Amino acid sequence: MNDSAITAAEVDLTVDLAGLALRNPVMTASGTSGYGPEHAELMDLTKLGAFVTKAVSVEPRKGNPPERIVETSAGMLNAIGLANDGLDGFAANKVPFIESMGTPVIVNVVGHSVEEFQTVCRRLDGIECIAGVELNVSCPNVADGLEFGTDPVRLRALVSAVRGCVSRAKLIVKLSPNVTDVTATARAAIEGGADVLSAINTVVGMAINVDTWKPMLANRTGGLSGPAIKPIALNMVHRVYRDVAKDANVPIIGMGGISSWRDAVEFFLAGATAVAVGTALFVEPTTPIRICEGLREYLSKRGMSSVRDLVGKLQ
Amino acid sequence: MSSNKINVGRVVANPQLCREHYRLTVRLAGFAQAEAGQFVHLSPTADMLTEYREFSTSGSWDGAGWLRTVANPMLRRAFSIAGMRAVGDDVELDVIYRVVGKGTSWLSRLVSGSSLSVLGPLGLPFPIHSTKPHAWMVSGGVGLPPMLWLSEALAKVGKKAIAFCGAQTADLLAVTMSGERSPRADAANATLSAKEFAASGTPVVISTDDGSLGFSGHIGAALTAYHKAQSCDADDLVVYTCGPERMMAFVARFCFDRGIECHVCMERSMACGTGMCQSCVVPVRDDDTDGAWRYRLCCREGPVFSAEDVLWESPAMAK
Repeated sequence: MNDSAITAAEVDLTVDLAGLALRNPVMTASGTSGYGPEHAELMDLTKLGAFVTKAVSVEPRKGNPPERIVETSAGMLNAIGLANDGLDGFAANKVPFIESMGTPVIVNVVGHSVEEFQTVCRRLDGIECIAGVELNVSCPNVADGLEFGTDPVRLRALVSAVRGCVSRAKLIVKLSPNVTDVTATARAAIEGGADVLSAINTVVGMAINVDTWKPMLANRTGGLSGPAIKPIALNMVHRVYRDVAKDANVPIIGMGGISSWRDAVEFFLAGATAVAVGTALFVEPTTPIRICEGLREYLSKRGMSSVRDLVGKLQ
Repeated sequence: MSSNKINVGRVVANPQLCREHYRLTVRLAGFAQAEAGQFVHLSPTADMLTEYREFSTSGSWDGAGWLRTVANPMLRRAFSIAGMRAVGDDVELDVIYRVVGKGTSWLSRLVSGSSLSVLGPLGLPFPIHSTKPHAWMVSGGVGLPPMLWLSEALAKVGKKAIAFCGAQTADLLAVTMSGERSPRADAANATLSAKEFAASGTPVVISTDDGSLGFSGHIGAALTAYHKAQSCDADDLVVYTCGPERMMAFVARFCFDRGIECHVCMERSMACGTGMCQSCVVPVRDDDTDGAWRYRLCCREGPVFSAEDVLWESPAMAK
């Protein structure tokens, strides 16, 4: 131990997400801990860097029939179908808890048209306790049946249109991995006015029952998450950081298969400013706390005072 | 804020009961009061999450951590509690399972002293405090375990209970039969022939699809035959059922047609077991909702549902 040694307790985990101050860089990933109350039964949510809700749409949605999930090798497929109470239901039933959560809350937003995205974001921007909105652009536009998030031109138009409705809350765009060139959609999101990028959403996949010859999911396909997608996510976060976000000074929330501090460190090195934990919460709801503890220890053993000094340091 | 709902348990015993069926007994230092019908969500202890203190650059444990998810389940697995008792300051709970895949294969490999992570108790229990004196438990296959614990609870509140237990074949019936194993019995009488149910004074009616033990036919047919022979006033009877969905739908219809109160214990694939993932939905009647139905979560709003609320014929059942 030399004089400049830094104890784990002294390590600074705070990060800045485009002006949004987080007490630590570990968040929840949308759709993996509801709107808060269920997760709060199992973990002190004030220990999170930020909480990201399940998606909210204008109208209520029942979601897909079961089966909605299936476990695959080192991962799981889900096709929940964006089940939610709709914007009015969210405002009436979910916001009161969010106000009391004691941690920055980001609301995931989904829509089937530019106008739907605008309607939800405009309303959320007016709700003081909501720190940010995250656009889920991996759903089809009813106008042309194509996903907003897979075409840079459509994505830029969407983000730009929503930007006009969001003045207070941070505007986050969640990038789809189901594209040929993620730097093109990342660039489009930034040009449209995104404050922050999150990457990645789930990877489209399928599982088949060999007895019935039917898909395992009622929706036929679903989004793959968990450790299986971590290498894909890391590569995409790094490419977005290196080619687009670094120069634009736009922070990235990295996610995809994170379940340990070691995973988180990899994402910071690849260029993420913060990380989000998703599928791991289903197994161990306190994973974010464990990751923060591990980060403190890792940084202190390396004599580093701040997690911010890891960002983008991939050699 | 955070609760003690997640505990590390130690395996006390894990014997095989019959073909493909095992009974896992786990001892836990902290486990909340639970009731029959509730379930636990099991996984290997999360070594990859807790061994954060080790960080040699070799990455050895990390690699092992991920490999673990290939050989072992990644997500937790949900099981009805088949029994629970206090042992000193600890609690012992039983889970009876049939080996059908990766998760149950992992369970079957656990030996005494192994550790596992237990999340629970979860879900809503069977309602047992009605004034109706008779309670019939109707189970098919591996729907039997929650009925073992329910039979104890029913005995304690003084119900006259009968367990109807169906299986495909005699060797897939996870109870110990005493006395003569008489094939091709009729279903007109219930007897104290299954040791586990006899412990709570509960007589059983057994059926097998192939007739290798008890009544020959499915358990719904045995239930129908028994009801015909030993008529019980609908106002005096509650039926509880757990098993394959088609079988529960049959029992639900049987009860609905006769005006008998019926509660079903449903099963769904679930990731979290706590309402966070929203995967384990069951379509139920709800006149206040658009289309007069909505999804309810099997984990939080179930697994026990009123049989007449469940939309058995709905495409939203999708089983």
